[in-house]
Amino acid sequence: MAEARKSMIKFKPKKFKVGDIIKVDFIVIHPMDTGLQKNKKTGKIKPAHYIDSITFSLDGKPFTTMKVWETVSTNPYFSVNMKVLGKGKITVDYTDNTGEKNSKSKKLKPKG
Amino acid sequence: MERRNFIKSMCAASVVAAIATPSSLLAKDAAKGKNVLTYDAAVAAITGGKAATQSDKIKLTVPEIAENGAVVPVKVNVESPMTDADHVKAIHVLSTKNGNARCADVMLTPMNAKGYFATRIKLAGTQDVVALVELSDGSFLTTAKSVKVTIGGCG
Repeated sequence: MAEARKSMIKFKPKKFKVGDIIKVDFIVIHPMDTGLQKNKKTGKIKPAHYIDSITFSLDGKPFTTMKVWETVSTNPYFSVNMKVLGKGKITVDYTDNTGEKNSKSKKLKPKG
Repeated sequence: MERRNFIKSMCAASVVAAIATPSSLLAKDAAKGKNVLTYDAAVAAITGGKAATQSDKIKLTVPEIAENGAVVPVKVNVESPMTDADHVKAIHVLSTKNGNARCADVMLTPMNAKGYFATRIKLAGTQDVVALVELSDGSFLTTAKSVKVTIGGCG
């Protein structure tokens, strides 16, 4: 399960200055199986497979932590606000219920 | 007249049966899942028995009618100064009738600058989406909005 999942961090708006409040969006390609659905080909119940914890951090210092359950949609999307105080690196770490760990980071470059 | 009444009652009974079947099936499916937690139990676990007050400070944005229950966008906005002394500590997104009532627990800090959270959730059927907000002074605020779901998304 070492294969990295496709994920994306977006800042909204794209251009921002120091002192602005921006949105940090995080999207990851993940099945988020509930453990209730059947595989249509084999007829077997798909085991539950969902992301259960997410941490947003700036330069290694976490500022938002989340606990989520299988009730969040497939290919989940999470959005939080953040105040820009200068240059830095946003990192999002996520873990799923099978113990799979991944992270994604993007540099924060305010202009002006 | 008798025949008319009879047909009327038959119609009513069949409608009731049609409505009742899917929900009972859903309940059966939900019982199989591992993370089963009812709405009341989830709220009690979060608040620890404290009463949550209804508040206009929370703005919960959900669609009135969701065509697909598998993807329901939810947006929570909480009016708060977000200072060290007074900020939104956590936003909990819950649903009243899903097998697992919990959707997301978001722990915020003053660095977020705004009490805002958005995501997309699954809903098994027509029900209320609830935002339960914990403030830094330990009090709880809540607000709920109903969403009509035409196709369920949980299983």
